[in-house]
Amino acid sequence: MWWRSASFILDKNDSFLRDDSETRLLSPPPSSSMAQTLDPNLTISPYYQTRAAHHGVVTSDWLAQAHAAAGRDTATPSSEPEASLNSIGSDNSFSVIDEFNNWRKQPDLAEAVAAIRALASVIRSSQATTMMELQNELKTASDSLKSWDMTSISLTAGCDLFMRYVTRTSAVEYEDFDSAKSRFLERAEKFGEISYKARKIIAMLGQDFIFDGCTILVHGFSRVVLELLKTAAENRKHFRVLCTEGRPDRTGLRLSNELAKLDVPVKLLIDSAVAYSMDEIDMVFVGADGVVESGGIINMMGTYQISLVAKSMDKPVYVAAESYKFARLYPLNQKDMVPALRPIDFGVPIPSKVEVETSARDYTPPQYLTLLFTDLGVLTPSVVSDELIQLYL
Amino acid sequence: MLDTHALVHDFLNKLKRRKIEGSKGTAKLTAELLRTVISQQRIPNTNQAGALVDAIKAIGEQLVAANPVELAVGNVVRRVLHIIREEDLSLMTSAIGGPSLSVISDDENDVDRDDYPVLSAAAVAASARNALRAPSLQTLLEDMSHSAAVHHSSSSVDDSEEKTKSTDKNSRSRKLKHNVIETVNELIQDIAACHEQIAEQAVEHIHHNEIILTLGSSRTVIEFLCAAKEKKRSFRVFVAEGAPRYEGHILAKELIGRGLQTTVITDSAVFAMISRVNMVIVGAHAVMANGGVIAPVGLNMVALAAQRHAVPFVVLAGIHKLCPLYPHKPEVLLNELRAPSELLDFGEFSNCMDSSTGTGFPLLHVANPAFDYVPPKLVSLFITDNGGHNPSYMYRLIADYYSADDLVLQRKPAS
Repeated sequence: MWWRSASFILDKNDSFLRDDSETRLLSPPPSSSMAQTLDPNLTISPYYQTRAAHHGVVTSDWLAQAHAAAGRDTATPSSEPEASLNSIGSDNSFSVIDEFNNWRKQPDLAEAVAAIRALASVIRSSQATTMMELQNELKTASDSLKSWDMTSISLTAGCDLFMRYVTRTSAVEYEDFDSAKSRFLERAEKFGEISYKARKIIAMLGQDFIFDGCTILVHGFSRVVLELLKTAAENRKHFRVLCTEGRPDRTGLRLSNELAKLDVPVKLLIDSAVAYSMDEIDMVFVGADGVVESGGIINMMGTYQISLVAKSMDKPVYVAAESYKFARLYPLNQKDMVPALRPIDFGVPIPSKVEVETSARDYTPPQYLTLLFTDLGVLTPSVVSDELIQLYL
Repeated sequence: MLDTHALVHDFLNKLKRRKIEGSKGTAKLTAELLRTVISQQRIPNTNQAGALVDAIKAIGEQLVAANPVELAVGNVVRRVLHIIREEDLSLMTSAIGGPSLSVISDDENDVDRDDYPVLSAAAVAASARNALRAPSLQTLLEDMSHSAAVHHSSSSVDDSEEKTKSTDKNSRSRKLKHNVIETVNELIQDIAACHEQIAEQAVEHIHHNEIILTLGSSRTVIEFLCAAKEKKRSFRVFVAEGAPRYEGHILAKELIGRGLQTTVITDSAVFAMISRVNMVIVGAHAVMANGGVIAPVGLNMVALAAQRHAVPFVVLAGIHKLCPLYPHKPEVLLNELRAPSELLDFGEFSNCMDSSTGTGFPLLHVANPAFDYVPPKLVSLFITDNGGHNPSYMYRLIADYYSADDLVLQRKPAS
């Protein structure tokens, strides 16, 4: 697809040739835009940028405040979409993406919830009088959302889930259009609650597996895993946590901050020290950006590496993910996904002819995972495809 | 009522003193006890299923606490709870189809319930089935609205038509109990017949001139092997003796009695002999939700040896052994330490028992664990009453036989 061939020399020559032809017309473009001229799809992933922005600012106090604010916001959701609509008029696709961005900025809100809230705003503002019309509008909005950020799996999964719910419900029961519409809106509003409850359920299920005196390795800053560890700490379990540094997002620093507040003994490791410490580790906990059909997960770069080491040393790898992250993807290898790039700052300037691997995520195949904790219960990786089949086929 | 209390108390004592051996016997006795409890239980007219569930949960909690290692008890309790919920559901869906039309004409004032009579019986049944199944992606968005609809419709059936109400309810309550007891009887029969059903599949798995390895003694394994012998398969059996109880000796005697060529080996010789073996067939104490097996001690070793030599490791287990829980620390939480006298003869070691260090701790310890945990990746195949399955298929069977609400047997405190 993109850079899979081993003939990277030929590819480079191609890029230099193209670059040369452009320099005759313009001054030499900077290195970041070179990537963009090669392939317009290889842009910085907005999903990972948003997460980085969250990490830079988020603390647990701020999270609590934001959550309280979100709770107040749900009582009066109509003010925001109306404002954006009045300014833009009937151009729905614009308002959907703006809506989505507004919701997404709240750090405690999951991607899928933001997506569903944005779609709910489409329903609210829709002038449709028949079910077909409404479904078409929703489909357009959902497609535009998905194409705006193709790298975010929970966004795609959330949109698909809501679209599936709309098409299935309307065909079966309600003869009255208005009651159906209000039903959709109510469910979309409730979805935020479900997502919050989902984290609680997962925390309750997962903390059973933490026994006294165990050592846990955590990679990446997952709000679900944090909730899980919080619940275990509240249940008076004595355990300690090793956090990977999580370059370049410094997720480990964030997480260790939070855990120190809970009085949980934390130790920071550089990413390369995982295999060195794997002996003393009893289990690995990670979150997931998306759970794919094979039962594997897509998560922050480094998860695959850690799972490989854990598997080779016979340590269980537990994944905490909400069920709406299940996506209809089936990656066959690491490059078989939409590339999600994140600029990496090494702190020192790098010579321009040195390439940097900027992918933000990797794919961990199901055979390296032990169990998935979801709000549907504790699942083995083989159950995921069953759930997806039940829903989509 | 006093009758059931005495019965339950009696059974609890037997469990606590470990008087009942074997999961099949325990499962059968538990099911029979619960059947008696159900038939004696007086249930109110509204929410009969809920009352039954509460009663069974109360007793189930005590039973499980009496012997937490005997997972078959908890399994049967959860099966019965699932049966109650299912029977209630099927009764409700058949009842709703009838009176729903008359409800429309009766309730004009109530604006809320305008929508619900419009729901077809099929839709309600479908949503009710969803409510019974474990939560899934499908029910994620639909769940609350439809279960609310079901409750409304059932209440609308109850509230209207005073005349037919009482007769309807009485017949329904009798029907529920009747159906539940019928299904529990079927469950008891299934438990009793599990060996035959598993043994029927023997001929598909054992072929001519094969060498089978087993450890210790299991009734299921004996029936399995003999069924293959009946079908004129000629094969040999290696029996590992299964220290410290040496049940393998008993198994060998029985197999010879039925005309099978048997070789007895020590547990330590398993690794040496496994390369000569075509298949390992063993029984299990319990099967966990992830496909892991709680088996008599020594079987983890055999499973590892089998994996090392690419020998299929087949586990025979009746459905009553399937437990819907995930093992967090099975070696500790689900294990029992038996008497040290099985290992060391007290007469010879009586002088060692007294000698201790200055702090008073004895120098000699004896650990005699009863069970081993075999992780799912070491098991090739499970043979149950309804066929052969992969370890990763266990979650499906659990969804069929158990409800998600019953996983935790502690009743929620009334708020």
